[in-house]
Amino acid sequence: MKSICRVWLLLLCAVSTFAQKPAISEKQVAFIEYPDFPEAHSTWGSIGYNAAANTVHIGVTNHANNIGLYTFNPVQNVMKLNGFIRDMANLRPYQWQGKIHSKIVAAPDGSIYFSTDGGESREEYLMEHPQGYAGGFIMKWDPKNGLKNLGIGMQYESIKDVDIDPKTGTLYAITYPQAHFLVYNPEKNKMRDLGRLASSHVPRVLFTDWWGNCYYVDWRQRLVKYEKDSESLVFARESLPAFPGTPGSKIITGITAFAKDEAKGIIYLITYGAKVIAFHPQKEGIGKVEDLGGVFDTGKEDAWGPYVPNLNIGKNGKLYYIIGGHDNYVLKDKTVLMEFDPATRKSVILKTYPSTEITEATGYDIRDKDGNLYFAARRNPSGVGDNTRPFMIQFNPEKEIRK
Amino acid sequence: MKIFTKIVLPVLLLASASPLLAQYTFFTPKEAFAIEVSLPNSAEKRLPMYRNAITSLHVQGDRVIGGTTAEEGLSPYLFIASLSDRKLVTTKDLQDIIPGQKSIATGFCKGAGNVLYAGTMPHTTKNPQAGHLIQVSLGSGDVIEVKDLGAPVAGEGIFTLLSNTQGTELYGISYPSGRFFTYNIASKKTQVYDDVAPKEKELNNLHEYAVGPEVYLCKSLILDNAGIVYGSTAGNRVFAFDPNKKTFEFLENPLPAVWGREVLGQVEAWAKAPDGRLYGGNAGDGQLFVLDPTTKKIKNLGKPTMMPRLQALAFGGDGKLYGLAGGAPGYSHLFYYDEKGAGFVDLGNPEFTMVAPGIEQGIMWRGFQLSTLAASADGKYMVIGENEALSQLMVFPVEK
Repeated sequence: MKSICRVWLLLLCAVSTFAQKPAISEKQVAFIEYPDFPEAHSTWGSIGYNAAANTVHIGVTNHANNIGLYTFNPVQNVMKLNGFIRDMANLRPYQWQGKIHSKIVAAPDGSIYFSTDGGESREEYLMEHPQGYAGGFIMKWDPKNGLKNLGIGMQYESIKDVDIDPKTGTLYAITYPQAHFLVYNPEKNKMRDLGRLASSHVPRVLFTDWWGNCYYVDWRQRLVKYEKDSESLVFARESLPAFPGTPGSKIITGITAFAKDEAKGIIYLITYGAKVIAFHPQKEGIGKVEDLGGVFDTGKEDAWGPYVPNLNIGKNGKLYYIIGGHDNYVLKDKTVLMEFDPATRKSVILKTYPSTEITEATGYDIRDKDGNLYFAARRNPSGVGDNTRPFMIQFNPEKEIRK
Repeated sequence: MKIFTKIVLPVLLLASASPLLAQYTFFTPKEAFAIEVSLPNSAEKRLPMYRNAITSLHVQGDRVIGGTTAEEGLSPYLFIASLSDRKLVTTKDLQDIIPGQKSIATGFCKGAGNVLYAGTMPHTTKNPQAGHLIQVSLGSGDVIEVKDLGAPVAGEGIFTLLSNTQGTELYGISYPSGRFFTYNIASKKTQVYDDVAPKEKELNNLHEYAVGPEVYLCKSLILDNAGIVYGSTAGNRVFAFDPNKKTFEFLENPLPAVWGREVLGQVEAWAKAPDGRLYGGNAGDGQLFVLDPTTKKIKNLGKPTMMPRLQALAFGGDGKLYGLAGGAPGYSHLFYYDEKGAGFVDLGNPEFTMVAPGIEQGIMWRGFQLSTLAASADGKYMVIGENEALSQLMVFPVEK
């Protein structure tokens, strides 16, 4: 009897540690493959939503030298390869590109913008060597005119992320490995380098507010705002919230994901130290920062440990993210689809997946008109090495996906 | 309890975080550290953005003295950092003393006592001011005392500066004309010479290569043990100035060059070895060379990296010659040259721990654009200054 009681207590403990909703229906989740690219390996945050066309765009790479640009039409439920970047941009072999690492951002006219990245070790030090990396490009694409190459950001540097001021078309970019913040006016072909903002590791994520100001972080994990009206950088006085004991390597990497709730005036952030933050931007200066807690109840383990390189927000105002990747999983060999309610600051597990089925997922703030959320994922069926295949996750937190 | 161990515990076990850091090995010696000297909007004493590229550096006891370069329209700073406290202790805005200046990029020359001298470069405006000579000394309580010694060459900036061994006379190169000048500290008398300034024919040739004075003017001067001053001139040549005779000699040997790229020849760093030989760095293609003052012969020692530039040289207490090779659009590499041992050793990008209020756990700071290097007087430390929008100091120990 004693041991039965002990097991019962332990089970109760486990349930409270990992609060779990009743399983979501299989019809709320779809795994969508990328056609016509047999050597496809992965996606790296290279996904975005185009509100003008109600389409999702994805950059898929072989993680060496070939990138396919895809469009998913959720109404037709069709994933289509538009072409390969090296062909559409007339790149020469010495201008090889390893991947699109940036998110894909859309202008009000339906054009999309993204940037390219070396992606391999040879990018960082070989430089002008025949196998070296020329530098990452900023590119524009639309279905009518095809791809337009807007040029290199910085010689020899990758571009890890871009964002856009939808009102002016100004593009923002962050380079790798020197973390230079660039502001580019495509109309005037004017590139402005505002200098290095990070230390040893490059925070991967830029985001904009509804006025078109752009945000990044410095090495202290303080928000850095490019204020478009003053055309200058504004630094937050304080660092973003972090759990006690968060290592410096996590601090310098900044935020991993964001999602916007414009109606409420909030941009939700997840840090590399596993904090969920509600940021209330304001047109001038840095706005209020609200600590909503951790992404996952880690029990006795380090609260800063979980790795969340993605974030979406449902029409219900709740946050959805998938924990795990880069050999960092909160449940052994499992990725975890989570729901976080900013109102209650509580998170629940919606579903777990073997890490061979979903190895890692990226993507920020991608929701179509029907409330479907999207993640750019990859799977490693063998669980060995880095032999992955990319696919897209479509997820509707509130209803079955309409086919 | 077995159920706990077999079922619940594994579920509770969380995978350890593995940061997504670069997969390269960095030069990170034990006891190396970075000092955060630049940070906007901070409660700590820090230099503001775009005004902190560390282009002059000197170590005096425990104190690191820095001079900076600012972006267009902004003024540079002088600063003091403490090696033992690993923090910035004093800053001084040059605008308060000499308005309209852009940079202190000559390095610091030692005068009598602990007085230092440097030259400034003005902003390139429609009505540019001249660069000034400044006298810098450290007062009690880490106060930086700056005295304006005026403009030695009317309408010109001070591109390069050197003092003699006694600290009684200064030698410099003006910008943009490239004229050589001497300045007597006691009498405040300046003499200007045209001998090393590029002539019209040379300027026409340089124009075809689209290079400006910052590329072809001598960026660094040095004094041999006999008191002769050495520097470079446009056309890949090296000159020697005898302060006693007030005469110039052009050496027979040119600077080492890559064929067809002689136009890029520029000495941008010197260091004198204990035996009196002069080691120089050629910006054009990044060659290290040695000049024997007794024979006036130049020997090309080769290139530590594939890049142009060799921005700084300094002997460490371990007897090795340390230097900064390369730079934008690539990254600077820290290297040393050990004539009796391994020859060139490329240490790559240094990466040191930075600890400061608010980042007590320490963060790693990787140096990309490194512009200045100085050895502490006791030979224990080498101090590197960055050239960034937000530049920091990087310090590593050397074994004597």
